[in-house]
Amino acid sequence: MPRKPNIAVIYFPGNNCEEESLKAVLAAGMDGRIVRWNERKGIEKYDGFIIPGGWGYEDRIRAGVIMAKDPVFGIIRKEAENGKPVLGICNGAQALVECGMIPGLKNNVEMALAPNKNPFINGYYTTWVNVKNEQEKGTCIFTKFTKKNEVIPMPIAHGEGRFVTKDKELLSKLIKNKQIVFRYSTKDGRIEESFPTNPNGAMHNIAAICSKTGNVMAIMPHPERASFIRQLPDTTELKNKFAGNIIAMEEPAPAMNVFKSMKKYVEEEIL
Amino acid sequence: MGGVDTDLIDIKGMPDNALKEFLRKKAVSLSIFEARKIVELIGRNPTITEIYIFNTQWSEHSSYKSSRHVLKELLPTQAPNVILGPVEDSGIVELGYINNERYGIVVSHESHNHPSQVVPYEGAATGVGGIIRDVLCMGAKVIAIADPLRFGDPNGKNKNKVKYIANEVINGIAGYGDAVGIPNICGDVYFNDSFDENCLVNVVCLGIVKEKDIIHSYAPKNAENYDIVVVGKATDNSGFGGAAFASLILDEKDREINRGAVQVPDPFLKNVIIRASYAVFEEARKKGIELGFKDMGAGGIMCSTSELCSDADFGADIDLGKVNISMQNLPPYMIACSETQERFTWISPPEFTKALLKIYNEDFELPQISIGAGAFVIGKVTKNQNYILRHDGKTVCNASINAVTQGIKYDRAKKAPKRNFKEPNLKEPNDYSNALLEILKHPNVASKAKAYKHYDTSVMGNAVIESGYADAGVVKAVDNSNFGVALKTDCNPRYCRIDPYWGAVNAVAESMRNVAAVGAIPSALTDCLNYGNPENPESFYDFYEGVRGIADAAKNLNYKGTKYPVPVISGNVSFYNESGSGKSIDPSPVIACIGVLKDYSKAITMKIKKEKSALFLVGDRKDELGGSVYYDINNEIGAVVPIMDFEKERNMIYAVIDAINAGLLLSCHDISDGGLATAISEMVMGGDADGEIGAEIALDFTNLRSDKALFSETSGFVFEVEGKNLEKLKILFKFYKINLIELGKTTKEKNLAIAKNSKKIINLPISKLKEAWTTGFAEALE
Repeated sequence: MPRKPNIAVIYFPGNNCEEESLKAVLAAGMDGRIVRWNERKGIEKYDGFIIPGGWGYEDRIRAGVIMAKDPVFGIIRKEAENGKPVLGICNGAQALVECGMIPGLKNNVEMALAPNKNPFINGYYTTWVNVKNEQEKGTCIFTKFTKKNEVIPMPIAHGEGRFVTKDKELLSKLIKNKQIVFRYSTKDGRIEESFPTNPNGAMHNIAAICSKTGNVMAIMPHPERASFIRQLPDTTELKNKFAGNIIAMEEPAPAMNVFKSMKKYVEEEIL
Repeated sequence: MGGVDTDLIDIKGMPDNALKEFLRKKAVSLSIFEARKIVELIGRNPTITEIYIFNTQWSEHSSYKSSRHVLKELLPTQAPNVILGPVEDSGIVELGYINNERYGIVVSHESHNHPSQVVPYEGAATGVGGIIRDVLCMGAKVIAIADPLRFGDPNGKNKNKVKYIANEVINGIAGYGDAVGIPNICGDVYFNDSFDENCLVNVVCLGIVKEKDIIHSYAPKNAENYDIVVVGKATDNSGFGGAAFASLILDEKDREINRGAVQVPDPFLKNVIIRASYAVFEEARKKGIELGFKDMGAGGIMCSTSELCSDADFGADIDLGKVNISMQNLPPYMIACSETQERFTWISPPEFTKALLKIYNEDFELPQISIGAGAFVIGKVTKNQNYILRHDGKTVCNASINAVTQGIKYDRAKKAPKRNFKEPNLKEPNDYSNALLEILKHPNVASKAKAYKHYDTSVMGNAVIESGYADAGVVKAVDNSNFGVALKTDCNPRYCRIDPYWGAVNAVAESMRNVAAVGAIPSALTDCLNYGNPENPESFYDFYEGVRGIADAAKNLNYKGTKYPVPVISGNVSFYNESGSGKSIDPSPVIACIGVLKDYSKAITMKIKKEKSALFLVGDRKDELGGSVYYDINNEIGAVVPIMDFEKERNMIYAVIDAINAGLLLSCHDISDGGLATAISEMVMGGDADGEIGAEIALDFTNLRSDKALFSETSGFVFEVEGKNLEKLKILFKFYKINLIELGKTTKEKNLAIAKNSKKIINLPISKLKEAWTTGFAEALE
């Protein structure tokens, strides 16, 4: 029997979502381990990488900047170029943008995750949102099990999650390249630019972007906190439908497909 | 007694007035009597270090000198589910057995009131930091935090400062909790003018530990010659005198001086220390090593090292020169007593110390994470029961360790204050819809989303019910088990102003109802007792009555299925909560109730789930609106607060728990601030205010005037039931002898309609309810 994909969830000092990220990895049927930033020796043996949420290096200077400069990122970048999957969630997404791997069209930083624009709460904001997959199956390797126009509930928890760019042509390139993976939408899939549908003012309601080759994804919402039905709030029918059913509560919720898709990709392309 | 070789302060020879002046100059808050007591205890004049040690140890904050015997006399702390009562840094209550191993929920509950009033962001943040340390140091995995808050009147004469403090406190809690990554699962916020110059910032923290893996806050057996290791941030002068400061009355003119007593938070460093400490736990368990571990809070190194050793009948010999410090020329008493944050003390057998140091200093690179941080051996546990501190080759403290830790006790006088409260004679409102909207908009009732959406409520991925969706927050307790833990904090300050005893009873009962409303069994309580100056007999009376109320409620609302009380397993006393002008806060015994769900999937929220289900009320409405929000919007306070029939209350709570666990209820909400009408409105809206199912109810079950029926805060529950479950529900409530009152039904119309004698007295679209409920708190903060 072929071995399971083995994923490194990297803990940089200050990250705080490494454990739930690993749980989602394991529940999706992969192997994995939390690897400290200073355990980088031999890290290239892993089949894929997750940069979890939190406040790596205290978000000094700007969220994700110092993480992006950590030597371990050099290895991850190289492995990504070899086709291995890299998933950056929240703070991890910020780091992927800060090191230029996302969107990765030029060899430098093309975008930023700016402070939220939110009429309700200044700064850090936690809430449940809906994100919509507008892509046909194809480019992004994290949506192999997500249908076109499917809407997935996930929580956000960030202060700097607004995808922006100064490059006026970048957005149209991203659309053309099918790099925009998830967009903030209403429950029934309408894209509204206004709050609360768009919780942070991100351009084009962008919640997640992948690399041109699709094997690297930066996502601001937290799929690992929305991967089991138990984790969903009572604003979702799925949670209410299974009230009292302990077995169903531990079943995968739609966001688990991000991790399952990662698994399938590794099985098909890496192993 | 042992000798020292530094200068002694001639307290024996100093006349009273000179001593008084000396103490004042040295910023020592000991009384003359207490200063002379040091000489008596250690058998000679003390060194300056020893004076500061006793100054810290005998502060109200550290010694509980006014309160200890009252707590001991009154509070029930024992029940079969108690694993550890309130004797160490946290209490531990049974979660249950998983694979034949007993698991405990570790709970701590404290205040950080004075620091938050003076420097609100840092004060609140370090409050969170401290409470996490208390739970972690029991060997536990930290799983949740909560924060009950009390602020001044947002529309009163101090409104600008009140708003500033409220916002900064919320930001401080968020800034710390979000960064360490512990979900904030519940809390409560009240505003009133008694908190104008003295806000309350309480914090609760939960952890999980296997009973056999508990690490105690005392040295293990045979610990002679074990290493004393400090770990964490480099010691500086921050928070020096913090414990003594917590025991003073705040005076605005001392603001600048007081700022120095507030510690500086470093959640980033804490984030790494937590993970490194988990690695130490794992390593020690693997090797079968027994350790002692204690948070450094009030009294810093001195307090943690002396208590770790004295509680196991050992002494300590410490070289303060070995402590990692970040400021030059810190005097020894400052190194010993500073309350620099993010530090712990370990007692480690020498053969394990190397592994322990490696985990902090190399694996997690603490010295690279924060300048001067790390783990360092600073001394040894001794058989000889002396507490010895050395510095620069000199002995600066050498006293019997029991003298250092035994504390001091005062029997405070108590006298019932005059309470001239009267019931108002209100006219029936012309427009009930308006009255309801005004109540929903009241900052004490309105949605607190603007606070808790600043907090990370879903980190760790263990959420079952996040903040705001139900009466209590619920998290999954342990992987590969079905246990859930519920938590809620409560205390209505206006009830306590009118009646400190019934106010406390109501706080306990409400916290239990909140936990029951999600289906959890109230299993333990913690109390954070916030009161005025205990030297004032009227304040001390209020304190005593509050503790009596907690005790009576805990004993009479028994732990389900037993004759035992719901035990009080942890807590904290915060006195001197008054302004420089002598105005005391409303008595505030803030209660946290910890609930256990055997099957977390049974937990339900307050939001109405289906159209055409039946709505029921339990808990007869009574004319007892003293302290109610309804009176408040009429600028009245009243005199008659909710009084409790313990037997009925107990049965009502049990019946609701059974109904939820039998899957008979779709949604459930406790009746509290704002009464029945508010409870139903909140059920219609749901925690996220996205509800789209209306309700239609009739008040014909009662002879009370409609405003009293709708807005009385008498205890009770409202719940939603599907037709198919009605018969079972009736049998269940009959068994508990609780009257089930049919209120009405849920509707397709997005409307709340309330009728009396077939005449609609309230008819409001849900959107109107939402508008009021979602803006009131936000406006109070703006």
